[in-house]
Amino acid sequence: MRIVIAEDSVVLREGLTRLLADAGHEIVAAMPDATGLVETVGDLAPEIAVVDVRMPPTHTDEGLRAAVQIRRQYPEIAVLVFSQYVEERYASELLAGSTKKIGYLLKDRVADVRDFLDAVDRVADGGTVLDPEVVTQIFSRSKRREALDALTPREREVLEAMAEGYSNAAIASRLVVSEGAVEKHVSNIFVKLGLAPSEGGHRRVRAVLTYLGV
Amino acid sequence: MDSLTADHRVHRLVAPLVDPATYRAWTFFVAALPLGTVGFSWALVALGLGVASSFTLLGIPIVAVSVVGARWIARLARPLARWGLGAKLAEPAPLVHEPGLLGWMKAALTDSVGWRGLLYLVLMFPVGLVLSVLALTIAATAVLTPVLLVAPWVIRWIAVPMRWLAERLLAPLTLSERAARLRAGRQQVVDTAAGERRRIERDLHDGAQARLVALAMDLGMAKEKLATGRDPEHVEALVTTAHDEVKLALQELRELARGIHPAVLTDLGLDAALSAVAARCTVPVTMNVSVPVRPAPGIEQIAYFCVSELLVNVSRHSSASAASVDVLRTDGLLTIAVRDDGIGGARVWSGTGLSGLAERVEAVDGRFLVDSPMGGPTLVTVELPCGS
Repeated sequence: MRIVIAEDSVVLREGLTRLLADAGHEIVAAMPDATGLVETVGDLAPEIAVVDVRMPPTHTDEGLRAAVQIRRQYPEIAVLVFSQYVEERYASELLAGSTKKIGYLLKDRVADVRDFLDAVDRVADGGTVLDPEVVTQIFSRSKRREALDALTPREREVLEAMAEGYSNAAIASRLVVSEGAVEKHVSNIFVKLGLAPSEGGHRRVRAVLTYLGV
Repeated sequence: MDSLTADHRVHRLVAPLVDPATYRAWTFFVAALPLGTVGFSWALVALGLGVASSFTLLGIPIVAVSVVGARWIARLARPLARWGLGAKLAEPAPLVHEPGLLGWMKAALTDSVGWRGLLYLVLMFPVGLVLSVLALTIAATAVLTPVLLVAPWVIRWIAVPMRWLAERLLAPLTLSERAARLRAGRQQVVDTAAGERRRIERDLHDGAQARLVALAMDLGMAKEKLATGRDPEHVEALVTTAHDEVKLALQELRELARGIHPAVLTDLGLDAALSAVAARCTVPVTMNVSVPVRPAPGIEQIAYFCVSELLVNVSRHSSASAASVDVLRTDGLLTIAVRDDGIGGARVWSGTGLSGLAERVEAVDGRFLVDSPMGGPTLVTVELPCGS
């Protein structure tokens, strides 16, 4: 896969380049700030851009702004926003419009190399990847608390995994249960929450997040 | 030209006659006597009784009651002076006292608002007597043209010292008291900041730093074992432990950094930052933030830390089932109200988290009020000045 990286810390930029190249990807650009990022991404047309939120010159949220713009101008390019902190508010900005080809992860997640590479693949394939910590924030901010309290602990786990963007097969292997069991949980959840059944993928993530109030 | 100037003069001469402020001042003069009578009687009876019985133990509580009573009567005098004289008077904060009868007496006897109110009420008796006689005389003779022309001027002139008196004696704080409070507040903030730095150092030392040492140790051992080529299973176990340690260290550092300053506050302001705070509270929080224009960074930060500390208290001590946070910006004031339906009994005692917050708020000339009766509910109100 062809990848553009924007990350201001040299150590992390080189580390990411090494890690992704080691996994067989091609790093077509590794940028130290967000200046010209949108243009570079437009010119090089990578499959995915991995973007840090805080970068020079203002060290606030320029990476996020660039990510939002890339999504608007080049919807065919996947974006993985990679940050020191995750905030529900940033997630809703990124997800406004579409939940396709977007990921939002804590930088810490790179420590679990296989999960991280898997997330890059899922986002590039058109899926959604949300950090568990963002999902926790979304759940506790949700106005649907009563309905959520009606779920069994297992159903709640499945719902969280759906919000993080996992497919039924991935949820089954994470929770070490059969795919059939997961499907049953999913249909129970949709009945309990009064949601119309939807096919998998980013559409399902959208439905779940909309329900939770993102 | 000449006739125009003359016309202008006549206008100026009769201006007070048609100005509603004149009539409001006149009403104040009439009302000053009953107010002074009530105040003077109170002072005479309560204070007199207290002083007279000062050789017994009862004397001091009676004096305290008379001061607090004067505070109550002064509450009636304030709107009257505002309306009648156009005096600029803020309402003072309720009497803050430590628990118990002794705490209450100590606060009452040192309450500048009460003592100044008492003095004002006593003065209002003779002053009111003169003023109301004057006001009634004017009313009775107002049919005479000279009185009609001169009296409004007299009323306006007398109103000026009356306003001055009200603003000095009925104001929440005198200027020197305010300066002293700000000075004390500043010192406390310096101390609090030093305390915070010590806490951060300790957290780093006990947390992330210790984890990184353990990590270096595990990796060092793994390296040794790799060099000698023995015990490959043990090497794998060591690397796995090191991997877990470093992830925990990262999480601790992230939480510590957020505690020092949340990045989202700088980027997006109070609404977004507080919504993340509410998400971390174990009690369900209803959040209502209406801050159309962002306050100065310093004020924003104090507001943020107030809400996050107060919600930590709600989680830890209140046994509440629900809480709400309202943040509202009006002209020059950022008002924060944090409510919970818990057990109440929160007090601003020195050394507690609440007193730390109160110090920070007072250092910027804000107000920090806790209303938390035993059995609940609790309402903490914070007011921060933020320009308009």
